[in-house]
Amino acid sequence: MAMKALDIYKNLPKTNCKKCGYPTCLAFAMKLAVGKAEIEACPDLDPETKTLLGGVTRPPVRLVQVGAGERSVAIGEEFVLFRHEKTFYHPPGIMVQVSDAWPEDKVRSAVEVVRDTVVHRVGQDLVLTGVAVKNESNRPDRFAETVALAGGGSSLPLVLIADDPASFEAALAISGHYRPLIHAATGDNWQALAALAKRYGCPLAVRASGPAELAALAGKCADAGAPDLVLDPAPRSLRDFIAAATEIRRAAVGRTEPALGYPLYLDAGSFGEIDTALAAGILKYAGIIVTPPLSPASREAALTLRQNIYTDPQKPIQVTPGIYPINEPGPSAPVLLTVNFSLTYFTLLSYLDASRIPCYLFVADTEGLSVLTAVAGGKLTETLVADSLKKFGVVDQVDHRRLVIPGYAAPLSGKIEDATGWKVLVGPRDAADLPGYLEKEWKA
Amino acid sequence: MPTATFLPDYRKVTVPEGATLLDAARAAGLSMNVVCGGQGKCGKCLVFIRDGTASFDREKYRRFFSEEEIARGACLACQATVVGDVQVEVPAGSLIQEQKILVEVPGMKEIPLSPAVRKYEVRLDPPSLEDTNPDLARLLEGIERQGGPPPNRVYAPLGVLCYLPQVLRRSGWHATATVALVPGGYRLSSVEEGNTTERLYGAAVDLGTTTIVAYIWSLTDGRTLATASNYNKQISCGEDILSRVNFSRKSGLSRLQQLATESINEALTTAADAAGIDREEIFEVMIAGNTVMTHLLLGIDPAYMIAEPYIPVVRRMLSTAAGRIGIAAHQNAGVYTFPAVSNFIGGDIIADILATGMAEREEATLMVDIGTNFEAVLGNSDWMLSCAGAAGPALEGGEVLFGMRANPGAIERVRIDPDTLAPSFSTINGVRPRGICGSGLIDLLAELFRACVIDRTGGINLEIDHPRVRKGRYHPEFVVAWEAETSIRKDLVITENDIKNLIMSKAAIHGACMTLLDAAGLAPGDISRICFSGAFGNYLNKESAVTVGLIPETPLERVENIGNGAITGANIALVNRRRRKELDELAQRITYIELNADPSFMDRYTSSCFLPHTDFTLFPHVQQMLEACRARQGVRSWQA
Amino acid sequence: MTESSDEGLAIREVRLGATRAEGGTREVSYVIGGERALPFSGKRPERLLVALEICDDPRFWPPVVRDYVGDLSNDPGEWARAAERTYGADLVRLNFTSTKQRGFDAFDAIAATTEEVLAATTRPLIVEGSNEPELDSEVFRRCGEGGEGERLLLGTAEADRYRSVAAAALAYGHAVIAQSPIDVNLAKQLNILLCETGVPQDRIVIDPYTGALGYGFEYSYSVMERIRLAALAGDADLAMPMISAPTDTLSVREVREAVPADQDAMAVAWEFYTAYSAFVAGASIVCVRHPRTVERLKKALEV
Repeated sequence: MAMKALDIYKNLPKTNCKKCGYPTCLAFAMKLAVGKAEIEACPDLDPETKTLLGGVTRPPVRLVQVGAGERSVAIGEEFVLFRHEKTFYHPPGIMVQVSDAWPEDKVRSAVEVVRDTVVHRVGQDLVLTGVAVKNESNRPDRFAETVALAGGGSSLPLVLIADDPASFEAALAISGHYRPLIHAATGDNWQALAALAKRYGCPLAVRASGPAELAALAGKCADAGAPDLVLDPAPRSLRDFIAAATEIRRAAVGRTEPALGYPLYLDAGSFGEIDTALAAGILKYAGIIVTPPLSPASREAALTLRQNIYTDPQKPIQVTPGIYPINEPGPSAPVLLTVNFSLTYFTLLSYLDASRIPCYLFVADTEGLSVLTAVAGGKLTETLVADSLKKFGVVDQVDHRRLVIPGYAAPLSGKIEDATGWKVLVGPRDAADLPGYLEKEWKA
Repeated sequence: MPTATFLPDYRKVTVPEGATLLDAARAAGLSMNVVCGGQGKCGKCLVFIRDGTASFDREKYRRFFSEEEIARGACLACQATVVGDVQVEVPAGSLIQEQKILVEVPGMKEIPLSPAVRKYEVRLDPPSLEDTNPDLARLLEGIERQGGPPPNRVYAPLGVLCYLPQVLRRSGWHATATVALVPGGYRLSSVEEGNTTERLYGAAVDLGTTTIVAYIWSLTDGRTLATASNYNKQISCGEDILSRVNFSRKSGLSRLQQLATESINEALTTAADAAGIDREEIFEVMIAGNTVMTHLLLGIDPAYMIAEPYIPVVRRMLSTAAGRIGIAAHQNAGVYTFPAVSNFIGGDIIADILATGMAEREEATLMVDIGTNFEAVLGNSDWMLSCAGAAGPALEGGEVLFGMRANPGAIERVRIDPDTLAPSFSTINGVRPRGICGSGLIDLLAELFRACVIDRTGGINLEIDHPRVRKGRYHPEFVVAWEAETSIRKDLVITENDIKNLIMSKAAIHGACMTLLDAAGLAPGDISRICFSGAFGNYLNKESAVTVGLIPETPLERVENIGNGAITGANIALVNRRRRKELDELAQRITYIELNADPSFMDRYTSSCFLPHTDFTLFPHVQQMLEACRARQGVRSWQA
Repeated sequence: MTESSDEGLAIREVRLGATRAEGGTREVSYVIGGERALPFSGKRPERLLVALEICDDPRFWPPVVRDYVGDLSNDPGEWARAAERTYGADLVRLNFTSTKQRGFDAFDAIAATTEEVLAATTRPLIVEGSNEPELDSEVFRRCGEGGEGERLLLGTAEADRYRSVAAAALAYGHAVIAQSPIDVNLAKQLNILLCETGVPQDRIVIDPYTGALGYGFEYSYSVMERIRLAALAGDADLAMPMISAPTDTLSVREVREAVPADQDAMAVAWEFYTAYSAFVAGASIVCVRHPRTVERLKKALEV
């Protein structure tokens, strides 16, 4: 269990010296409690206290890097079981699997898709993470050639999937410097694979069914000098994976079993339901998901889901403030004030789109807060409205001076009128009621 | 060297043989009472030799002692010299003491009188060719002899030096000096002829956005002499803080500063006249105002406070001379402004904290100051958390159809008979109602809720068949007073929309309180006191406040109204310099939580947007009471 | 039945539909809820249902679905029959989109369509009534009346318009969908309001509102998780099963602007990812609009 802010505070010097960068020791303690500050930032603590406080703030899931360079992926370093408790930090790597039994062209084109697919969403470029090369030819040289074909790890992160150490030896001779993930150490081969992982400094996946077996095997590999591990619970079904993943994450964040404090591995191709497995892996704690090549629709949906789930729930996505014409409005169309909380914006947009009522959506910068919170927290103010009206040149776009404000902003209606000189109409609280409201109340 | 030991607290000091006991006492850190300056003329420095010996001509000074005192070994410290180890008893009367006056500060328990400004009556030897000490040094040495600060720590402004020679000579070298403790030392504020020590006054001022309140104190005996209040003249430049800042941005800063000083001066003049004192005799002014008001008063640009990242120019306590900013007091009077925590938690809130005494207690106190904006502080002697937000104007009667400020004709108390739905109310000044003020609105909300007229979101149940419950023009409404009962020739109603605005306001405050409690890891039951500060809290019915969930549920006896905490705090800081000195440190250790940056605030706010709260387990007594109300009315219990 | 003690408290069971023995005409009735653990982690499988949404006025329906189902969209009865028999839906959700048109007053048609769809189906029915507060009272009464005895799942109650749907549900013996805008507190508040009006807790299904994938879905996902966690921790006011209807999913840009050849695939992928994630977050019923999504979801629940 994480310590509460006041408990941490009791151990701090209480000098409010600000050397940590926070205005008070208590403010620092509050940041420590939520894992957003480092105990090292306090220069006046004795080592014992540091250990005491540092021990409780260390990430419960180890950060593991797969690949090298620009497109490498870092997974793990997660703190919670549910994203609303804080956030999920490191989105899973989605690795498209190719086989060394495939013809070269097929491998090449699958790799190209991974390299070149980019989905632009809300200011982010979403990409598939890397390539998993599976040894199905049972020939080490063939495996190594395919690994080379996949770029050898120099451009895209790789997962090397094989059984025998010889195949890995061959593949690692090419890609070993680029931190590919070795999959997988089992009860039979772990000594050889851990030795290889150690030699190349690569991350190593360990595979065993059941958390207890995994913990034991992970412990052995770590002791053998392979500290960067990924756990494959070898699920028999997807339901099995979700249950095991939940149990492992719970043990990790609860710090009840340190040997389970590693990211998880999921082979999405093993259940005959790729989309289902991809979604489950994204939702339920997978760090590396290996999948057969995906259709464009699945690709886009999966990348979007990954982006959604790994969005910081405490930091609302924001829409760029401004004036947005909807349904080709003319100069007499209503101007509707709203906030730049993306959910509010999109909800409004969908209702207005559907209503076919021409209007201007006037999005003020409330730093991504909803109307309710922005009003309560003083972020949506008459000054902001007046300044934004000016900044976005709203007066030049319409021939009237009437502004519809959200129902939850009713307390500001008088002030907005005073500050802007516009007539303010208080709209409904619910976006769904807006089209009906406009039909009734808006007379141009 | 011999050792002198002073009783009763056994202070030991080694002094050269031949030193006077007075020197020894000073060396031991005791301030002896020596009106004559150690010339053996006043007899005030009486001490008793308890052990060992001192050289003293007892016969020469016999007139100062009683028989009994002689028997106990009385001597004058200034005339007795050390000849060997000696143990000396110093009676309390021979020490210059803190006046042990406890001041009854309105709204506060007693505070020791210990002002930062003092007057010293001095009788000086006139200069001569043998004694060419300059006037100032002569005066300062005289002050030191009276227990004042050492000369090298006293700063003498040029203005005082210009009239000093005349005052000293005209008075025949008998004058009264006013010395103020200032950061880094002391200031010689004034020198007057003769003995004026009885006339030392100070003023405490609450510089509110709307109202100014001033108190005039006698700093020699700790009496309040007069109080006065008037509107802040800056209102002509905008009603609220934000519009003031905007006004100042349009190069109106000097105008706002002028209006602030004029407003304060008006209050000071009224109070000084009532007290029968000259404003020139006010030697210290303690001002509590929010951060923007403080900036404006001092002529500091507040523009950067209202935009991200919301930074004030200065947080700490500031002092200046009254003459520099035009405050109507002695021109060298020290004007002190309270320090701030942030632009949102200003000096007024620090004054509130002082008024609650929460910083001296081990148990946690929650202090809430409610206006259009609210500030909340939770803490004890070890830690303190604060936050601020917008409550919206509903609680002050704004954005409510028949809402009004607490002026005559405002309904301030309401009861509703749950069976007949007939309201009974009282208005301010007892006249016919013309509106409802904040306390009345909270009462009304609680009563409508108890009577099951509104559901837990504040929605009016139109299925109730009663003439007072009706569909209004825009919203469902409840008739509080029929046209014939009012002075406004129409039915006085509260609408569902009003109720929802009120609920949003109360939710912001409750949500903020819970944010502080959660940050500290405390439950409502862990709070030893909830203090309301500000006018709103003063009239508020505590039970209604808990019933609607404005504040966390706690036993009502733990809820206190401290009234105008800002003026109380200013009073305390005026009369007690130690409390004042701690203010900067206090402000430094208050941690400010930005509600907007705290994602859980939204959650708490939403869960508070319900009567009394979504989580009934936080309001067990309200739940019981409501169940009883509903059972009586035959309404189906919600805990089916 | 024995349950292991490390599992949480149970989600309340809600019965949908009434067989002849139960006073209705359905061939089956469903019980949802009863879970004691996080989704897909309990000792026994969850009772999960996939509903296909249909409507009575296709003008207000996503073009991609209209194109796919063709003439069915003009015949709610046939559309409902196909939903069950062709597309494999566990049940149908009938949306009275006709109430969206201006000046709607065809109240008789509401009852008639409800009866028609009931006659065409053998399974429990979800009815989504009015979209307009001023029509609520009459529309819900007609829906309720038309389905009397069939234990419909009637929607949608919201915080400022819950009395008429609650009244219809109480009068005609239906269950209620309680929809709140993606907020655990608001969901709880609405449940309390409904209970205080007399709706029993075992006749409430929570709809926490589901934003489309890429358009706020993560908020819905987390709110569903929080509701489920609160319920398992013993909050009786949140211990109702959940229904998720990501109704905006087929009008998102990605689907609208997909090249025609990919449009169905994109629509299905978008709905599938959203709907399946809703199950993982704790929904008992997921409503989708594209017929092919139904089949995908049914399969997904088997792995």
